[in-house]
Amino acid sequence: HQVLRIKTKNEEEVKQLQLLESLEHLQLDFWISPSAPARPVDVRIPAVSVQSVKAFLESQGIEYSILIEDLQDVLDQEKQDMAESAQRQRSSSFDFGTYHTLDDINEELDHIASEYSFVEKIQIGESYEKRPLYVLKFSTGGTKRPAIWLDAGIHSREWVTQASALWIANKIATDYGTDDFVTSLLDKMDLFLLPVANPDGFVYTHTSNRMWRKTRSKIPGSVCVGVDPNRNWDAGFGEVCSLFAPPGPGASDKPCSDSYHGPSANSEVEVKSVVDFIKNHGNFKAFLTLHSYSQLLMYPYGYKCTRPDDYAELESLGRAAASSIRSLYGTTFQVGTICKTIYQASGGSIDWSYDNGIKYSFAFELRDTGRYGFLLPASQILPAAKETWLGLRRIMEHVRDKAN
Amino acid sequence: PAARAAAVALGYLRYLRGGPGRALELRALRRARRQDIDDVGHKYYLELELEDVLDKDRTVNCTAEVLYHLGNKSSAPDVQVTVQGELRSTEEADQEFYNRIRSLEKELVAENIPDSHGNVPPELEPIRLLAGVASGYLIWQNSTENTKFHLAQVKRVKQVKRSDEDLQFDYVVLLHEMVSQEVIPWEVTVLWHPRRGGRVSRDRRQPPHGPG
Repeated sequence: HQVLRIKTKNEEEVKQLQLLESLEHLQLDFWISPSAPARPVDVRIPAVSVQSVKAFLESQGIEYSILIEDLQDVLDQEKQDMAESAQRQRSSSFDFGTYHTLDDINEELDHIASEYSFVEKIQIGESYEKRPLYVLKFSTGGTKRPAIWLDAGIHSREWVTQASALWIANKIATDYGTDDFVTSLLDKMDLFLLPVANPDGFVYTHTSNRMWRKTRSKIPGSVCVGVDPNRNWDAGFGEVCSLFAPPGPGASDKPCSDSYHGPSANSEVEVKSVVDFIKNHGNFKAFLTLHSYSQLLMYPYGYKCTRPDDYAELESLGRAAASSIRSLYGTTFQVGTICKTIYQASGGSIDWSYDNGIKYSFAFELRDTGRYGFLLPASQILPAAKETWLGLRRIMEHVRDKAN
Repeated sequence: PAARAAAVALGYLRYLRGGPGRALELRALRRARRQDIDDVGHKYYLELELEDVLDKDRTVNCTAEVLYHLGNKSSAPDVQVTVQGELRSTEEADQEFYNRIRSLEKELVAENIPDSHGNVPPELEPIRLLAGVASGYLIWQNSTENTKFHLAQVKRVKQVKRSDEDLQFDYVVLLHEMVSQEVIPWEVTVLWHPRRGGRVSRDRRQPPHGPG
């Protein structure tokens, strides 16, 4: 169907159009009826009548233009717009302050990606049980801009981390263009966010065991399942501190242990996928990872108790970030190397990233300090996410300034 | 290491002074000092700032000494805690809880406190705090310099009616050990009375978890 706009020059032409209007078999739908010469006449013409109406107008010398080439197109587009708007309605009513299933989280990632042109959902690999590993890429342009990595949920029972990552994703997406920091950050750098780094474990915490930490990979020769994905990176892999009597900290070589490091470094596909992605990209400047609980802000090393070369800068930046966190609700985070702050632990992700040239490598342990531990009430998700965001911001600010 | 000793001190204090109406938490570890005593063990001197979560505006300072015995892994650390000032009285809340439970027709049974989302129904909060008392005992008795325990969840609780005046609760609690990251189920029975306080009558550690 086409919609024509007809410009009548005189009374005579108006009369002609009124004649046309009376011909019912044409099934013309006058949106603006012919009345006076000065007023344009808009009419919807069914496809089958378009040629004959145009021929008539031309033979009478009556001027017309095509207002709408194809009405169906317009209707289709409108329908799509409405659907998108409904999606937007749904996502703006997505409750970030409650715990969600993996399916819900993935749906929300889709919403965010569809709503913002600079956000893209990419898949960097698959879990052991073949679940996609989805990363949100925030990029306003350029080719392989210097980038920041942020992941959450590598230990599946740490539910406040996946929830916070989702809030943070939405925060960044909505703040671009209105918030000075986010705008300046994304104008210079890209951000990659993996909100559920261990989807198999996460599903397991919903369906079977809320306290599950590891992956769900089958271990050859053992009845036990799963590897601690944060002992599986290639950084001092499998090393155990000799000062402590066994079973020592560091990482366990026992498959049934919750800190089992796995048969070899990068044996877990969840870890390997991230390693490959970051190596292939080649331009990451920061590697940030979220855990819970204990309220700590740590930098390398965990596999050894010596200070990293960039100790002074990382300590100072860590303190600044902890200060930012505290400014919101008074929540205190302790700052230090992994070894000094928590325990010696080998095969950790930020040790790997640091040793692979990514200087700004930090691990956060979010709320609380033990009262609820892993079972942090949902009412604390938003406060935790908001204060954590301030800490991440502070670090990203520094990275943005230094990396450019 | 000092933080681990603080957790032991807190566990001990919870066992001695905790109850269904008192939620003691560690606000801050103000000072810590370690002394190595030849042929004996390692002794930690601690200054702690505590708070009762149900009385948030007040903090209580205390000092603690925690002695980990050398070599003998099966012996509990020696703990001494001195609280400066008074803890808020819980007499009323305790009596209310006691009366409520005594008047139940059916023995109380519950699971998963808090639940997966961190929720604790208000009427079960005292049950959880009592589990904290029991866990305090377990933490004190089973800690070494290489462990740091927290109560992760009450998996199951079953009240057992008694002919004497005590309340009895049989718990299965999940203890989270920070260093190994294990979550260990532990059966523990607590006897409690408003005036006499709580004591653990029986406990048994279960294997960490099935294969998965």
